[in-house]
Amino acid sequence: MIQNVAGMETILAARINFAMIDQQTESHDPRTRGVGRMCAALALILLSTANLSPSQTPGKAPSLTMAAVPAVTAQRTKQTMVDLNFRVPHGYHVNSNSPKSEFLIPTALKMDLPTDIILGKISYPAGADMTFPFSPDEKLSVYSGDFTIAVGVHPLRSVVPGKYVMHGVLRYQACDNAACYPPKTLPVSFEVKVVKEPATHHANPAQSPHVHG
Amino acid sequence: MLYVGYHKARHSERPRAARLTQSSPAPDFSLESLDGKTTRLSDFRGKAVLLNFWATWCGPCKIEMPWFVDFQKQYGSQGLQIVGVAMDDASKEDIGKFAKDMGVNYPILIGKEAVGDQYGGIPGLPETFLIARDGKIVDKIIGLRGKAEIEDAIKEALNTRPAASQASASDNAVTSQPQK
Repeated sequence: MIQNVAGMETILAARINFAMIDQQTESHDPRTRGVGRMCAALALILLSTANLSPSQTPGKAPSLTMAAVPAVTAQRTKQTMVDLNFRVPHGYHVNSNSPKSEFLIPTALKMDLPTDIILGKISYPAGADMTFPFSPDEKLSVYSGDFTIAVGVHPLRSVVPGKYVMHGVLRYQACDNAACYPPKTLPVSFEVKVVKEPATHHANPAQSPHVHG
Repeated sequence: MLYVGYHKARHSERPRAARLTQSSPAPDFSLESLDGKTTRLSDFRGKAVLLNFWATWCGPCKIEMPWFVDFQKQYGSQGLQIVGVAMDDASKEDIGKFAKDMGVNYPILIGKEAVGDQYGGIPGLPETFLIARDGKIVDKIIGLRGKAEIEDAIKEALNTRPAASQASASDNAVTSQPQK
């Protein structure tokens, strides 16, 4: 009942190649043994990448990725929403921010913003209610594929206009159809250009509507 | 240069997880159980052990646990001992509550990463090892598999004799259990 995960055969074949090359070169110049092993290593890389994307490497916890955030301009004294786009590798899912069981680990963003830039609302998408082979009777609330979390940034009036980098981490816990992987964190960062709020217009006393006779 | 760099990098890494194969001796360990007792794998010597690594956040693990409860009831008298190792960040209380809700009737131990490393690193859960009465690994199951498949592996583990009795059995040429 040893596992027969897709791609394992490739890796196994490459391991056998190592052994065969060692056997073939052992009786000759030992220096060629290293060259042979290098060839086998390259063959392993080529074979592995031909059949497996990095996200499908058997037995390895999948990693979420975040798309680069386009330039964001935030006006002082106002909240600006910033969309952060994440991607779950094909074949995996993560719990939504509101999983249906207290024991499941929600996907959650934690931000640490510069002084006087206040964290506004973090808006999570609704999870998709899905059943899985390991949970046929119970729907789970999950994210898969691409999903977007919107973060509100609110620079106070005291912030000097300029560019600021926002840092945070996304914590998530991924599963596939048969196994779950330990919780991981993805560092998150994006740049915000803080600009002054528009000047407010005050009534000019010189233009008082009062008519003085 | 690439080759030298590769080797240098390999040797500077933290110690790699043990690579276990079928018939490897199951590494012994000592872990605290939910009731605070220190439990060693070797405490179950002579029994067939189903060693299940799991976590409260693992959906597939939840599916297997009722099966393990059934197997413990059905095969316990024949020498099966199921042992759960919680690879969890949750508190002992939360793990205990979870196990109670699941009606677990076998010992649950609080896992440590070092023990996971002894068993190959446990990259995903559930991961289950079937250990024969002689202390050797007879099967390794990664992820959720069918109940019948696990039961077959249990039967295989039960159909072995303890290491101590193997010598005497061969001396006396008497076998009480079918031998693999």
